[in-house]
Formats: sequence, structure tokens, C-alpha cells
Amino acid sequence: MNEIANQYAEQGVGSIFLYTHEPHPGENYSHLTSMEQKFNHARDLRDKLGVNRSILVDSLDGACHREYGSMPNMTWIFSRSGIPVYKSDWTDAASVANAVDYFVGVRQRRRDGERLAPFQVQRLDFHNQDWDAFYEGLARNGPKAVREVDEAFE
Amino acid sequence: MNSDLVARYNYDEFTPEKFLPWMRFESSPQLGEKGPDFSLWELDGTETTLSECWSGYAYLIVEFGSFT
Repeated sequence: MNEIANQYAEQGVGSIFLYTHEPHPGENYSHLTSMEQKFNHARDLRDKLGVNRSILVDSLDGACHREYGSMPNMTWIFSRSGIPVYKSDWTDAASVANAVDYFVGVRQRRRDGERLAPFQVQRLDFHNQDWDAFYEGLARNGPKAVREVDEAFE
Repeated sequence: MNSDLVARYNYDEFTPEKFLPWMRFESSPQLGEKGPDFSLWELDGTETTLSECWSGYAYLIVEFGSFT
């Protein structure tokens, strides 16, 4: 997703990471109880995991996250007027890039004089299931996070 | 701020009874209708809003997530 942010920045496309809550709390990154802790975790996201987009932090009760569906790693795309034009319940860089390409194309088509009207479309996209990376992330959170996922899906 | 809501949202263990209630994508805002706005905070503590973010670009990608 960092690459996408860089790739489209010159085409008027912004990108932010919105820090929510800890879906897999562990001994190293426990559940959140304060904004100070939430800011610290968000800084670690930047410093340890290399997220170089602007990171913004939601309120401690997740007001924004909850309103938008509170999935653990979803992506939304908004127009300049605040209209959601894309939403996915999971983040996949290829899916996001595909959507951004389309919307950037829409801007150009309008500049070229086409009269375009929106319509609704639903589509299933597909992402790689990298279980090794998933468990590597859980282990980073602590053994508790690994154990709870194993127990939840056994 | 509602302390019970804060505790339930920031659940302390990944168990179905604690995480499943938050999987509510189906009831999220519709595409094509203006999205609700919220206060957000930059890492230095400066308060901003989601609308300030989206108003600065032709399109704004928002990835929701966390360290864990």
C-alpha cells in the first residue's frame, strides 16, 4: 500500500492509514486502554513496520472505525466531496490499484468531455492468503495472540 | 466517553464472542452517499477530521488497521 501511495500521489490521489484497535492483542501489544498507548502503537506501525503514509489515529472508542464497519483491515476510497466510491472489507493492494486506475481514468474522461453518470457495481476480488506472514505478525504481538487465533479457528 | 463501549471495542482477547460483534461491514455507509465525518488525530496529537483529509485530494485512500 505504501507503493500505491507513491505511485498515485502525482495524480491527485492521497493515502492515509487510520489506526483503529488491536484485533489480535498479545503480551507485546496488548488491548488499548488509553490514547497515549494508541499513539505509541501507531508510532511503532511507522517505525517498526515501515508504514510511511500519513498515520491518523481514531478516538479510543473507535467512532470512525465503527461507523465504517469496523473490519480489521479494510480500505475505503473517498472523492474530494467525501463520497465513498470504493469499499473493501479486506485490504489488497492490487484491488485498490485497480480501483484507483479506474477513478483516475474517470477524471480524464470527464476532462475529455464525456458525460458520465455513476452506477452501483458489486464484485468479488481475491487476495493471497499468506499464512506464514500472518502468523509472523501474530508472533510479533506475543504468544497469546497466536494461541487465541488457533483456538478461535480450531 | 462510554467506558463500557471503550472496553468492548478494545477487547482484551481474540475470541468469537468479543470480535464477531464488530464485523459489521454489511451495515457500513453506502457508496455514492456522503460519508460521515469524524475527528482524527495526527501522531503529534494535532486534531483534524476525515473531511479535511478527503477534501485535499481528488481521491483519498483510507486503509483502516493497526499494529496487530
